[in-house]
Amino acid sequence: MRALIILSVALMLFGLCWALLAAPTELFQGVPQRIMYVHVPSVIAAYTALLVVFVASVVYLWRRDSNWDRVAQASAELGVLFISMTLASGAIWGKPVWGTWWTWDARLTTTLILWFIYVAYLIVRAWAPGPRGARAAAVIGIVGVLDIPLIHWSALLLRTLHPQPTVFRAAGPALPGSMLVPLVIGIGAFLAVYAVLMVLRTRQERTLQILAESLEGS
Amino acid sequence: MAYVSAAYLLAALLFLAYVLSLRSRQRMISDMIEALRQREGRA
Repeated sequence: MRALIILSVALMLFGLCWALLAAPTELFQGVPQRIMYVHVPSVIAAYTALLVVFVASVVYLWRRDSNWDRVAQASAELGVLFISMTLASGAIWGKPVWGTWWTWDARLTTTLILWFIYVAYLIVRAWAPGPRGARAAAVIGIVGVLDIPLIHWSALLLRTLHPQPTVFRAAGPALPGSMLVPLVIGIGAFLAVYAVLMVLRTRQERTLQILAESLEGS
Repeated sequence: MAYVSAAYLLAALLFLAYVLSLRSRQRMISDMIEALRQREGRA
């Protein structure tokens, strides 16, 4: 665990320095394009977290094993954290490039819907503790992930201000190596931080459950 | 550069807020463990 924490902090610092100091400045957007090194890693981390929620929710509904429920809950919290980062960094990037903080564009709107779905998941967890709340949340966790392909395809199929995918596309990444390498480091850093926070949060939930059982028994 | 700084700072603040929430929950767990120990000590 300590090695993972050190790795995540080192990757984060290394990626940050590369993105801000060594990566080239984009010709059309200028300096604000460097927000990409936070925006894209945060969205990748969010998708990963929500895919984990999906898998853990399916397994929980199938086996009714509370360990999977805890994994889903911890990952949903982190998913909301990373989507919030994506929306905030996107708005800050949008202002100098598009001239507006927000527009009801297909991609932005579907991402905001994703944020609302997982905030609803957390509200259900907070207001309906126990197996009933866990089952309801698992259903939201499974249905909510269907928004991810909608977000991806919205930039390809609908008219949108948002740029087309430059990394995850059929023809391969469209970015030059000098931008792609710091971006990949950033993605690795965000995923490592996600892994660290997941382990810590899941352990906490496990301890809380043991304590609650001990208090009920005593 | 102001927009870039704002985006990076906001991301850092969100991480910090989450880590602080983890710490506060950890404190609550420690308090619960202490309460349980005291209850067992009295019994």
